[in-house]
Amino acid sequence: MRLLPTLLSLLGCLSTTTLAAGAGASGNSKSSTNLRKLPPTERFNLYHGKATASSSAAPLKLLETDYRALVATPRDYSVAVLLTAMDSRYGCQLCREFQPEWELLARSWTNGDRKGEGRVVFGTLDFNDGRDVFMGFGLQTAPVLFFFPPTIGPHAVVPPEPLRYDFTGGAQAAEVVHHWLARQLPDRPHPPVKRPINWMRWISTFVILSGGATASYVAWPWVLPVVRNRTVWAAVTLIAILLFTSGHMFNRIRQVPYVAGDGRGGISYFAKGFQTQYGLETQIVAAIYGVLTLSGITLAIKVPRIADPKSQTVAFLAWWGILFVVYSLLISIFRTKSPGYGFALPPFM
Amino acid sequence: MSAADPLQVIASAGKGESTRSVLRVIILALIAGAAVSSRLFSVIRFESIIHEFDPWFNFRATKYLVANGFYNFWDWFDDRTWHPLGRVTGGTLYPGLMVTSGVIYHALRALTIPVDIRNICVLLAPGFSGLTAIAAYLLTNEMTPSPSAGLLAALFMGIAPGYISRSVAGSYDNEAIAIFLLVFTFYLWIKALKQGSMLWGALCALFYGYMVASWGGYAFITCLLPLHSFVLICMGRYSTRLYVAYTTWYALGTLASMQIPFVGFLPVKTSEHMPALGIFGFLQLLAFLDYVRSAIPSRQFQTFLWLFAGTAFGVGLLGLVIATSMGFIAPWSGRFYSLWDTGYAKIHIPIIASVSEHQPTAWPAFFFDLQMLIWLFPVGVYLLFQELADEHVFIVVYALFGSYFAGVMVRLMLTLTPVVCVAAAIAMSNLLDTYLTTKSPAAPDALSDKDADGKKAGKAGLKSTSKPVVGIYASWAKSVIVSSFAVYLLLFVLHCTWVTSNAYSSPSVVLASRLPDGSQHIIDDYREAYQWLRQNTREDAKIMSWWDYGYQIGGMADRPTLVDNNTWNNTHIATVGKAMASSEEASYPIMRQHEVDYVLVVFGGLLGYSGDDINKFLWMVRIAEGIWPDEVKERAFFTPRGEYRVDGEATETMKNSLMYKMSYYNYQNLFPPGQAVDRMRGVRLPEVGPQLSHLEEAFTSENWIIRIYKVKDLDNLGRDHASAVAFDRGIKKKKPVKKKGPRVLRVE
Amino acid sequence: MRLSLSFIAALFTAAVSAVSTTGNRLLVVLEEDADKQIYSKFLGDLKSRGFDLSFESPKSESLSLFHLGERSYDHIIFFPTKMKGLGPNLTPNILVDFLNAKGNILVTLHSNVAAPTSLVSLLAELDIQLPADRTGLVVDHFNYAADNSSAKAHDVLLLPPPRPARSDVKDFFSTGAGEDDVLAFPRGVGATLGASALLNPVVRAPETAYSYNPKDQVGALTADDLFAAGTQLSLVSAFQARNSARLTLVGAAEMLQDTWFDAEVTASAGGKKKTINREFAKRLSGWTFQELGVLRTNWIEHRLDEPEDPRNNETNPKIYRIKNNVKYTISLSEYSWDSWTAFTVPDNDDIQLEFTMLSPYHRVPLSWDTTRSSDSAAAYTAYFRLPDQHGIFNFRLNYKRPFLSNIDEKNTVSVRHIAHNEWPRSFVISGAWPWIAGVAVTVAGWLAFCLVWMYSAPAKKGVKGEKKTQ
Repeated sequence: MRLLPTLLSLLGCLSTTTLAAGAGASGNSKSSTNLRKLPPTERFNLYHGKATASSSAAPLKLLETDYRALVATPRDYSVAVLLTAMDSRYGCQLCREFQPEWELLARSWTNGDRKGEGRVVFGTLDFNDGRDVFMGFGLQTAPVLFFFPPTIGPHAVVPPEPLRYDFTGGAQAAEVVHHWLARQLPDRPHPPVKRPINWMRWISTFVILSGGATASYVAWPWVLPVVRNRTVWAAVTLIAILLFTSGHMFNRIRQVPYVAGDGRGGISYFAKGFQTQYGLETQIVAAIYGVLTLSGITLAIKVPRIADPKSQTVAFLAWWGILFVVYSLLISIFRTKSPGYGFALPPFM
Repeated sequence: MSAADPLQVIASAGKGESTRSVLRVIILALIAGAAVSSRLFSVIRFESIIHEFDPWFNFRATKYLVANGFYNFWDWFDDRTWHPLGRVTGGTLYPGLMVTSGVIYHALRALTIPVDIRNICVLLAPGFSGLTAIAAYLLTNEMTPSPSAGLLAALFMGIAPGYISRSVAGSYDNEAIAIFLLVFTFYLWIKALKQGSMLWGALCALFYGYMVASWGGYAFITCLLPLHSFVLICMGRYSTRLYVAYTTWYALGTLASMQIPFVGFLPVKTSEHMPALGIFGFLQLLAFLDYVRSAIPSRQFQTFLWLFAGTAFGVGLLGLVIATSMGFIAPWSGRFYSLWDTGYAKIHIPIIASVSEHQPTAWPAFFFDLQMLIWLFPVGVYLLFQELADEHVFIVVYALFGSYFAGVMVRLMLTLTPVVCVAAAIAMSNLLDTYLTTKSPAAPDALSDKDADGKKAGKAGLKSTSKPVVGIYASWAKSVIVSSFAVYLLLFVLHCTWVTSNAYSSPSVVLASRLPDGSQHIIDDYREAYQWLRQNTREDAKIMSWWDYGYQIGGMADRPTLVDNNTWNNTHIATVGKAMASSEEASYPIMRQHEVDYVLVVFGGLLGYSGDDINKFLWMVRIAEGIWPDEVKERAFFTPRGEYRVDGEATETMKNSLMYKMSYYNYQNLFPPGQAVDRMRGVRLPEVGPQLSHLEEAFTSENWIIRIYKVKDLDNLGRDHASAVAFDRGIKKKKPVKKKGPRVLRVE
Repeated sequence: MRLSLSFIAALFTAAVSAVSTTGNRLLVVLEEDADKQIYSKFLGDLKSRGFDLSFESPKSESLSLFHLGERSYDHIIFFPTKMKGLGPNLTPNILVDFLNAKGNILVTLHSNVAAPTSLVSLLAELDIQLPADRTGLVVDHFNYAADNSSAKAHDVLLLPPPRPARSDVKDFFSTGAGEDDVLAFPRGVGATLGASALLNPVVRAPETAYSYNPKDQVGALTADDLFAAGTQLSLVSAFQARNSARLTLVGAAEMLQDTWFDAEVTASAGGKKKTINREFAKRLSGWTFQELGVLRTNWIEHRLDEPEDPRNNETNPKIYRIKNNVKYTISLSEYSWDSWTAFTVPDNDDIQLEFTMLSPYHRVPLSWDTTRSSDSAAAYTAYFRLPDQHGIFNFRLNYKRPFLSNIDEKNTVSVRHIAHNEWPRSFVISGAWPWIAGVAVTVAGWLAFCLVWMYSAPAKKGVKGEKKTQ
């Protein structure tokens, strides 16, 4: 009992070397055929041995021959193959995004299950190495993740057609795919995805924090007045309020376009309809609010504090005029947003 | 007083303090009256009817309370919703609203005024809006010495559409009383803080308890008061007043809130309530340090103490985080968390994301609900910065967070409105005080009379208020400002009235549409269908529908439902979604298992009614897919080109889904052959409509908005429904042809 | 209540010798009146059992099974007719409606007569397949009647008395028959039954029997052409719909003819034997026309089984509480020929009660309750404890057995949670005593502190101190 795994792994190593020789001269059909002839258990041990040979061996970089050997029936193990096109010629963005997640998943699964109780082999087949496989499936797009369930043994499923994971949701995180795989592999061990700790980030954050702390300690005498300054706080508060009340969060959540072109080559600043808006539109509205607020503040606080009657009158006229015009502008803009709004002020009637 | 100068008379009329207070009372009464009357459009236009969805449950619960008494209500097990699970209603609702109207009902009965409970429920919201106006008056008076600000705030509060939207007559929802409680609790908090009195703190706690009993939004108070205290502490404004007010409020308020079964132990378990607890502990520490400092007056020692306080705070925070990650403290609840991580709900909780009032707010909504206040609001906030007393800090903090939340969720416009009204009123009153005065400064060089305000502000105030107030010289300028703002105020009133009557006064149970000749046409399909259910089905006939209509069916048709608007059980809702999204053969066992007798769908195709089930269908699919990813796939409802179609191009899954079949069954018979058109989607439908075998059409309302189907019983002769239907259509089973292969043998 | 019922039953027995539970209007579909003579004994037996027979020819226009939407007959017998179809008044759809309206049908076939199309398609709906060309003949070369015309054709089968196939099924059709009695099955048609649970073979062909077409299958018979053979071939089949309406298919109409009633036949194995056709015909028709194997639920009662609970003696309450002990009793009667008798569950079978919400939470066997039983009604009782799960539950008794009419009783009750005042008080729970003591100590300490403080400290500082200590 104890001896068996060691023996198997030994055999695995042996055949690994032979395969390497065979696969090295790619297209060597003889080796592939006799690989395919191997009984399923040995095939699994062979490839599982390869995958567990080093901690970063999985997912196996497959050649077409290996692929054919792996998915050959009958098989008492499962195979998860990612058909991808990493070559920059194909410009497959999704492939490149998903590759690291895929490797992470394959590694943590294979290393979590070194004994091979789950009997799963992870492999990656690039378009360059396996054109005919892509042709065979009639694939137009990459990446495609195929899961080949076992055809014999306790977990055999019918029909043995491979299950296809569709990437409609874009490149998925390793955990999502892991969940999908786990559903296909009932009552077998599901080694969890182990993300390596990102030491670099920890260190950098620590450095930045400590640096900030020292900097603030040094600059405290200069910082303090700013922190204590009421006007600064007032400005910050008002800006924040204007941002929120002009629908900035809507842009954040809905990712609305900044501007959109109208049909005739120009750009339309204001989106049609009550429930929509553009990024630029919100900025315009925020600016209008700001101007109105400013004039209100000035009329309420500044103007009555101007000692000189002349300048006071001028300031008053200027600010009041601004208030008057801009407010009516705001109302007219709102009218364009919601037709049927009946009110208006001069001059924008 | 000579009649020659009426101005003088009027002016002098306002002089005496008593006359002023009398005037104030009268004005407040008038404002309250205006607030109430401006919410009666729906009653006048339609009738005294409960509005959209949730109110129907509240109404039903209130009727139960009035009929069976308080204790039965407290232990109410509702076996007519969430069939067959039932709902422990007494323990899963906020009883404040029902109890309030129950008390009113019994009080009136005691006064021998017989009044229908429905009318109380319909008119509760307007009545409380009057109180809200008065509460706003009180709160504003705490902020500014100017007496006019309070009245303006009351006026704004009374007619601001942002608040009317949830409090018109008939919208009998928790918010109806909650907003009053919110404002009044804040008023009491400010009072307690200013006076540092236990009495006001206890009152604050009392109303806080009432608020907790009424609305889930109490978390807003629970987080805002600690935040306010924390900001004050950071500004170095710790005082025994703060200590007394906060500790009194927290201790009593938490105890009060834990009396509500629905809340129970949340205040000590969940993250929403942790800030309050943390600040409570921190205040104890500060009080101790304060005491020590007063005992040992040594410079270094004090700095050490403050450092100690800071580190203690940090450690406490760290402990909180750790406890949360270890799971001793429940993390943020979904709804609450989605306020911060705005993408969260869309990915993880489709049910929350699917609710329309949880969507973010576009800017027109802000202007629509607050018109001129939206830009007076910052002005007021700025003015509060002049002398930044404790209560002003509160308003500032409230303004910041209120506007953030309102931006993230449409419904939280409700919590923003009060602070907007207060701030805007302060700004407006400040303007009027400046410009609506007959006396002008005499000489330009009258810089000698610096008022105290100017001096104080000069020291530690805003830069802009460093110079002393002189006043306005030109009286025409005053008249210009006054007249223009008078116009703005009038416009504001017109706007509010218009918005209220056009946008917020339709009870979405009854739809109103305009005929070409401009006359109003009432579309009453909902009540027609519910009445049909009430009169033509068994008392315990189970109705399956999407959860939006659960409360209405329970309230109007009085029939058990599978799911309703109280979306506490995601799986059960997903089950209904699966039944709707699967084929007949797949969903029939589900319906049998849940003993469904009738299925109700809403179909807007004939009328172009946008809120129908086909438009909500994708949410059903998503929610179902969340539970059964292998059996329901959203992808399968989109055409290869990724379109969501219902016409001939629709995918097979779509065409076979129960929802599609029930929506379009027999629909093409309304039109000449091949002319069938879905007016909502604006597409032409295929020649042959879908066929139903496991269900049969029971009822279709006048405008086809509501369609009800009866679920057939198992076939009497043990056939499957498809072949039974085929047989009834006259298609005989053909004689068994000689087939190769093994025979199927019968085993006894 | 039950007494009066049995009394009424007694009255009926006095009035007529017997009557079916679903009425006694029996329609006999014959082509010409001459046939009446052939079946005189059979029909006579029926008449003597209290049925009033009305004879109709399928040709007649006046014939209609429904009048103003109500059944105008309770039972139908179809004797073989030469017609290809049965005319517009007996279309399969009408017959299906008749079954759905709880009408019973007895269909008889004859190998020489083509079965009418409407009957064929009706049987097809019930998942009963007749030979494709509608003229199959069942023969058996090992046990046949050797004494008459059939001596060569081997088409008169002599069958042992039909015993039930399963041990837990009541024996309705062969009781009282001796082992050496035989059932003659002359020139009959065999049918094959589908897997439907509503179907049951009454008489199955022996292993050595098979069905073939005497016209074109005289010579060799390949396995593919063979319609059916052995026990797959059902000679007399019974169907009971979900509403307990019954349809019986008799493969050989001749076995109901006078010639085969109490006849003497010589078996192929040798020796003379008596046929039990008459008794069998009586029992078969009796079963078909709801005189045998009819079950009735007299009453159902469920109540709390908690002596100290005030609501204990309330019958059939609408609502229970979780973890209540409850008692469920049902009273069942079985009708046999002319009277209601206590229904006794067959040996090695038992009757079970389910307490179900979405899926059964309990499935308990019911036991005979002697105290509530009488000779005309049997009471069965079960005691159990409600699950710890609130919801809307059903007491469901679903007893469906071959040849017994279906019982599917469902009583819906709500199971509520524990109310706020049904928990034990805190001072009852010993575990709570430390906390209660803690509260008391705190209160006392606070009061003491206040006293001390008031008498020791100046008032001004008192305010401050008081704040601090809470």
